[in-house]
Amino acid sequence: MKIENIPLTVSINGKQIGPMPVPEGLPMIDFLHEYAGLTGSRLGCGQGVCRACTVILDKPDGSSEEIRTCITGAHYFEGKKIRTIEGHAQLDDKGEIKALSPVQQKFLEHFSFQCGYCTPGFVNAATVLLENLKREPVEREHLEQRIEAALGDHICRCTGYVRYYEAVRDVALGTPGLVKGGKP
Amino acid sequence: MNAFLKFVPMAALASVLALLGGCGGSGSGASGGKATPQVIEKGKYLARAGDCAGCHTAGQGAFAGGVPLQTPFGVIYGTNITPDKEHGIGNWSADDFYRALHDGKSPQHQLYPAMPYTSYRMLTREDSDAIYAYLMSVKPVAVANRENGMHFPFNLRFGMGVWKMLFLDDSLPDASKGQSVAWQRGRYLGNALGHCAECHTPRGMLGQMKNGEALAGSALGRIAAPALTPAALAARGWTPKDLAALLATGVAPQGSVFDEMHTVVHLSTQHLTAEDMQALATWLMGDQPPAAAALVPAQAGTTLAAGRKTYLAVCAGCHGREGEGKPNVAVAMLGNSSVRDANPRNLVVATLDGIGEQRFPGNGAMQAMPGFARALSDQEIADLANFLRASWGGQPASLTADAVKALR
Repeated sequence: MKIENIPLTVSINGKQIGPMPVPEGLPMIDFLHEYAGLTGSRLGCGQGVCRACTVILDKPDGSSEEIRTCITGAHYFEGKKIRTIEGHAQLDDKGEIKALSPVQQKFLEHFSFQCGYCTPGFVNAATVLLENLKREPVEREHLEQRIEAALGDHICRCTGYVRYYEAVRDVALGTPGLVKGGKP
Repeated sequence: MNAFLKFVPMAALASVLALLGGCGGSGSGASGGKATPQVIEKGKYLARAGDCAGCHTAGQGAFAGGVPLQTPFGVIYGTNITPDKEHGIGNWSADDFYRALHDGKSPQHQLYPAMPYTSYRMLTREDSDAIYAYLMSVKPVAVANRENGMHFPFNLRFGMGVWKMLFLDDSLPDASKGQSVAWQRGRYLGNALGHCAECHTPRGMLGQMKNGEALAGSALGRIAAPALTPAALAARGWTPKDLAALLATGVAPQGSVFDEMHTVVHLSTQHLTAEDMQALATWLMGDQPPAAAALVPAQAGTTLAAGRKTYLAVCAGCHGREGEGKPNVAVAMLGNSSVRDANPRNLVVATLDGIGEQRFPGNGAMQAMPGFARALSDQEIADLANFLRASWGGQPASLTADAVKALR
């Protein structure tokens, strides 16, 4: 069976990758690992269930959403913009990490993960949630439900989720403008 | 459906009723017999074969009712059929029970044909008594019946008397031909117990089954019940063997059951004996089943590139690059029954809405399929469906964006 190569251009973490020839039907997770050299996104179940492979899709209207790279073909992303786990921290001129993103920082402070396999997916999911809250703040009393809805599909087998949830709640309550009313 | 349009014929019927008076139930005769453990066990098997639980078991206990059934005439809730004396059927006699199954009449009132007495009418008195004995042996549950949400004039139950005079027949027509013992048994299982026709035979203006089009397929809900005539089944690649496998496990090379048929397999058909499963398949396809149609490749010159691109982008991850599917993840698209169906409805609706995660008998499963209503445009879904239908379904690539839009 001959697999055709098709040119692909995609913006990842603010940098244009390609155009480069990429086999049609190649899953995006393989493109990230093998073509873009970005190995931080995790391949877990390979069938869209565990969400370890989730990245952020930045839409033209400025909104962002999660997308699973193990069940989505690389060519789906032609001309699109995404962010992966490598794109969250602030880097200095030499490419060294200056500061982690608020979500990453809080995950560390809360000891949210142990093995870390699910962490890239959780970072991306939590970041999408916070970006959504920035556009549409949530009532304090509904915050926990929103976190549940945003992270509920992500599977973690080490820490039992509580520490992820607490960390995300901390960021949401500690960032001005994300939560309306109520006491922190 | 427009309630006003419905009103006109119904009002005419109501006046006919005034002239004719009520429609009495026909003979009951025999008494209930003895509820021996053997009879109760048989009744349990028959209650499963008749899928009583499909409508009569919701979250509040076995046979306590509460399952909503959406009809063009309003919503009807399955009732409490536990032996509870206040809310259930604890005060019913075996005669009463037989009358409900046979004549659509409870001791209190006329029953809507959502209770498929149009099919159950063919049950033998002996089997009715066995089901009665079984239901009387289950735990009584004191849960009140939910109020139906039927539109006027269908909320007036007396109209059902006339409806029955017009539409309640002693037998249902068969879509297949046969005489063998297995076929006869399958017919009893499919028509009298399983009430296949209630969903798979199209219905007319007054909700009656169009008996001239037995098992020709119908769309009461968002997911259509596909045609089950021998010719239609063979055209979609079905054999009696694969049908029996589908009824037993919910999964076959042609795909897996979803929506309401998933409930049917889960609650009913998986519990049938292998012999009965085979009989049902024999009845569906006939004593001389037509050979499964070979899959014809797409016509040369059909432009399917756009749909293929979408398929590789968002479908192939689970359904496989060549449409081969993945066991316990996603069904094959190659030769899939919904892809081969002349009616593209279920393929398009499944693409738009997705299908929730499903468990199947014997530890089988299919993972949740996301819906693409938001992610894909009408044109993209039309292109995708055309690619699937032409490449792996032997169907013309003629679906339009407007047809997809109509199903949103």
